[in-house]
Amino acid sequence: MSASRLVKEFSKGLWREIPPFRLVLGLCPALAVTTTAENGLGMGISATFVLVCSNGLISLLRKVIPNEVRVACYIVIIATFVVCVEMITKAYFFELSESLGLFIPLIVVNCIILGRAEAFAKKNGVLLSRADGLGMGLGFTLALTGLGAIREFFGAGTLGLVFGEQVFFDQPFAFLQQAPGAFVALGLLLGLMNLVGGSRGR
Amino acid sequence: MNHTMELVIGAIFINNILLAKFLGNCPFLGVSKKMETAVGMAGAVVFVLTLAGMITWLVEHYLLAPFGIEYIRTMAFILIIATLVQFVELFLRKSIPALYQALGIFLPLITTNCAVLGVAIINIQEGYDLFDAIVFSAASAAGFGLALVLFAGIRERFETIRVPKQIEGTGIGLVTAGLLALSFFAFKGMI
Amino acid sequence: MGISALVMLGIGLGAAAILAVAARVFYVKVDPRITATEDALPGANCGGCGYAGCASCAEAIVAGKAPVDACIAGGPEVAIQVAAIMGTEIGVAEPRTANHFCTGGDRAERKFHYEGALDCRALFDLHGGDLRCKVGCFGLATCVRACPFDAIVMGPEGYPEVSAEKCTGCGTCERVCPTKVIQVFKLSDRLMHFNNDHECLPPCRQLCPAQIDIPSYIDLATKGQYAEAVDVIKERNPLPLICGRVCPAPCEAGCRRVAIGDEPVHHNYIKRFVADWEMHHPQAPPVISPETGKTVAVIGGGPCGLSAAYYLRRLGHRPVIFDAKPALGGMARYGIPEYRLPKKTLDFEIDEILDLGVEVRCNQQMGRDFTIADLESEFDATLLAMGAWDNSSLRCEGEDLDGVWKGTEFLQKRELGIKVDLSGKRVVVVGGGNTAMDACRSSLRMGAGEVTLLYRRTRKEMPANQVEIDAAEHEGVKYHLLAAPKRLIGDEKGKLTQIEYIKMELGEPDASGRRRPVAIEGSNTLMDVDVVIAAIGQRPLKDWYTKDLEERGLKLTRWNTIEADEKTLQSDVPHIFTAGDLWSGPALLIDAIGTGRRVARSIQRFLLGLDLGFPEGTFVGPQKLAVSNLVPVLGVGPRVRVSQPELQVADRIKNFEEVDLVVSPESMRDEALRCMRCGTLCYFNDEQRDAHLSGRPLRKKVGELLQNSPTLR
Repeated sequence: MSASRLVKEFSKGLWREIPPFRLVLGLCPALAVTTTAENGLGMGISATFVLVCSNGLISLLRKVIPNEVRVACYIVIIATFVVCVEMITKAYFFELSESLGLFIPLIVVNCIILGRAEAFAKKNGVLLSRADGLGMGLGFTLALTGLGAIREFFGAGTLGLVFGEQVFFDQPFAFLQQAPGAFVALGLLLGLMNLVGGSRGR
Repeated sequence: MNHTMELVIGAIFINNILLAKFLGNCPFLGVSKKMETAVGMAGAVVFVLTLAGMITWLVEHYLLAPFGIEYIRTMAFILIIATLVQFVELFLRKSIPALYQALGIFLPLITTNCAVLGVAIINIQEGYDLFDAIVFSAASAAGFGLALVLFAGIRERFETIRVPKQIEGTGIGLVTAGLLALSFFAFKGMI
Repeated sequence: MGISALVMLGIGLGAAAILAVAARVFYVKVDPRITATEDALPGANCGGCGYAGCASCAEAIVAGKAPVDACIAGGPEVAIQVAAIMGTEIGVAEPRTANHFCTGGDRAERKFHYEGALDCRALFDLHGGDLRCKVGCFGLATCVRACPFDAIVMGPEGYPEVSAEKCTGCGTCERVCPTKVIQVFKLSDRLMHFNNDHECLPPCRQLCPAQIDIPSYIDLATKGQYAEAVDVIKERNPLPLICGRVCPAPCEAGCRRVAIGDEPVHHNYIKRFVADWEMHHPQAPPVISPETGKTVAVIGGGPCGLSAAYYLRRLGHRPVIFDAKPALGGMARYGIPEYRLPKKTLDFEIDEILDLGVEVRCNQQMGRDFTIADLESEFDATLLAMGAWDNSSLRCEGEDLDGVWKGTEFLQKRELGIKVDLSGKRVVVVGGGNTAMDACRSSLRMGAGEVTLLYRRTRKEMPANQVEIDAAEHEGVKYHLLAAPKRLIGDEKGKLTQIEYIKMELGEPDASGRRRPVAIEGSNTLMDVDVVIAAIGQRPLKDWYTKDLEERGLKLTRWNTIEADEKTLQSDVPHIFTAGDLWSGPALLIDAIGTGRRVARSIQRFLLGLDLGFPEGTFVGPQKLAVSNLVPVLGVGPRVRVSQPELQVADRIKNFEEVDLVVSPESMRDEALRCMRCGTLCYFNDEQRDAHLSGRPLRKKVGELLQNSPTLR
């Protein structure tokens, strides 16, 4: 297992296949919780945790799990870690758990996690799978935090994650805080990503 | 009765699970490219979501609550939903092949549709009774279907317009969904 | 914790139990091959196979509704994998690629209807059935955007251009194109395409018996793309070197230049130039479809047999040509004299066809060296194309005298190496066709002192090519028109000395539309003569028609031609086909080439077990012109036709040197630019006619476009 392969699998999630832009998966949380950068970060970290753990465990058990019931098994494994995250956030980050609300349990059905299990952990070793999970997770976190920051800064005039209570605008562009704003912002950001990174490969 | 009406209209128009609550977005963008598939998916979701809403409510109130182990709700629900979807698939294939042909291929997609798990959890969190839970589940699913079919109708038109290469596909899809969501804002005054 | 684990376990077990029971109760047998096939397919869900995604394609394959190589995007590897799952084997499938037909004009009709639509389909929806041209490209690049493989780009002229390397033949472009200008098909479909009434066909293309896409090759020739021009010709006619020299060009009769009172475009001039260019600049051989392992016996190596063998080979079959003569070429070799068609050129053209992998067995005569039973044991199908070699008799007294020769027998002597000395002799040739002309001009070259042509009608009715009639006269042949032989008189040794002929006059038109010659009683005249060559027509020989063929049900008509289906050319014996002169009776070389390609299509479909019929609206041969095609075009004036350079008469009658000389690229281009690009340039016929009838002026922009067209300036 060469280190370069490890780095490659890790780094692809950060830009080349960054979800939810390049890998259009996990849109629901990306849209729902990104009203602030802080929420985005929290969601991202939670998902990363689940992704790393589940990828590792699934990879470890990949030879034991029968092929026919693999999806059910994956879901149970993922659900177990999601319950852990649920409890941890409730215990230590109560405010975050309140604002993320429904979307923490919904990490179970986040397509990224099941998708990585199917596409990667099923076929690769533990270390590689963890690297892949970590990379994808961090990419997801980055994307969510960025999207949250944009929506928060322009939509509410604040950036709580960095500047605390400071308010930048009196009359922010509140549309971005609303549900439609989430769709439009994500759509345009996706276009921007493609513009910067060249047109998307088919 | 008034309460039920409110629940239905609220779930379909005002708090549409797709456009206001952001549940079930992956299939929303995935299967909305063609009207035909969108209708199939909508039908499958209405069917599964109503059933799942009912069963999960029963499990919560007669299994998890009595033992005080609500914290494993997520695990229990997802397992039940997965089983349910699988069961429905088996059942349809054998008993109603015509329906299976129409809806069957979408069933595997529903397991990972967060709308199903999401609505099941909302049912519990909002403290609905069994009847309300079923009504809310069905109405939410109808809202999902409505948004999906509307969106597919719009999206079919995409084929005949020029879109900048960079936001082709998902990008323009999301922006359009935003505009659709905006139009649903107009229902806010209904209740 | 304990309880929760227990409950979870309980739910899990319960779920498992329910599913296990359900799986039994609701058991439906799923073919494991479906799953395996689905895994093998690429999962691109491109829809190129015609099914809604890879899963349904897999089901269709296992159900036998789709072939194992149904997947378009996956390529041969996937097909082989799927074939392995299904337990069958396949050869590598012939690739399909997208092609578009419309090369036409600026399609101003539509561009000037511009109403903000940016997509072909939107435009189509806007105007619905109101579109004037059924086949025109809108040029709004919908196909370009639709292509999942980025294989289509908009060319500089505003038409889609398909990159053959990138195209997988998935058919997405075909589905989005509202006018079906862009279509996906295999190379073999293209080779076996016949004119259809829904196509935009220029008059010349309608009249050509081989259906060559004339404006396209002329267009390519003006652009200097000579190799591509030859490719276009060879899609319909594998013998451009020969046709460029000897074809009487029936296509020119329809040339739109005639409609404006001008001379037709000299097609042969251009065809011969590009074909000669290709002879001196060898190109890569054409693409051959994957081998089918089927073999076809082609009896007769003339233009028809060669044409059929060429197309059968390109379709992946293995044709074997049998010929009774020592060399291939048939009438092109033994009927057309050297000065019109040098044998070196003919050999080059034949070798090019044989190099594709066509086997030849010369000096093999049907009925003498092999029988139909021999063929049946070795080949999957048989094509009989032995031509029409029997000369019609003069039907007058003294035909067996020494010195009375038959046209085709005389012409082939030189090629067979039989010396003929005519020095100082008086020769009379009877007939008015090309064989008669060839006999006259050959006799001159063999030193004949005086050559007289006897023809019973006038010069206007002669079936020979106009250029031949003129050239023979230039070379000194005397025309004795409205005269028919009555009696041949010989001396006591049986040697011909005199011919008695009778004068004729023209009466009522007969079935062929020509006025019937009527003898003038008492006008008998005697003429001294050494040699009489009878060239009044040919018909197929019958020596090959043996009893076993008759027993199989093969029937001949009273003209010795084979009875076969008018369109498919299949005889009453399913595996025996016929074409060329043996089916039609004596006709032009280009007719034989055209029927050769047509019969190749029938054989191909017979070998693959397909229906031999043609799609509705197909024209298998030349067809009648629609009148609207000949509406004069505004703004186009006459332009001088380039003349064919040739050897001086004094030089050329001494030997068999080729008379027509090679043309220069410049004059060829001048001639090619005379082509008005009918069918490739939109002339808005309806628009013009409407304007003409109603007295309204043309819409300004249409008028401007016509004025500014580069070819018409």
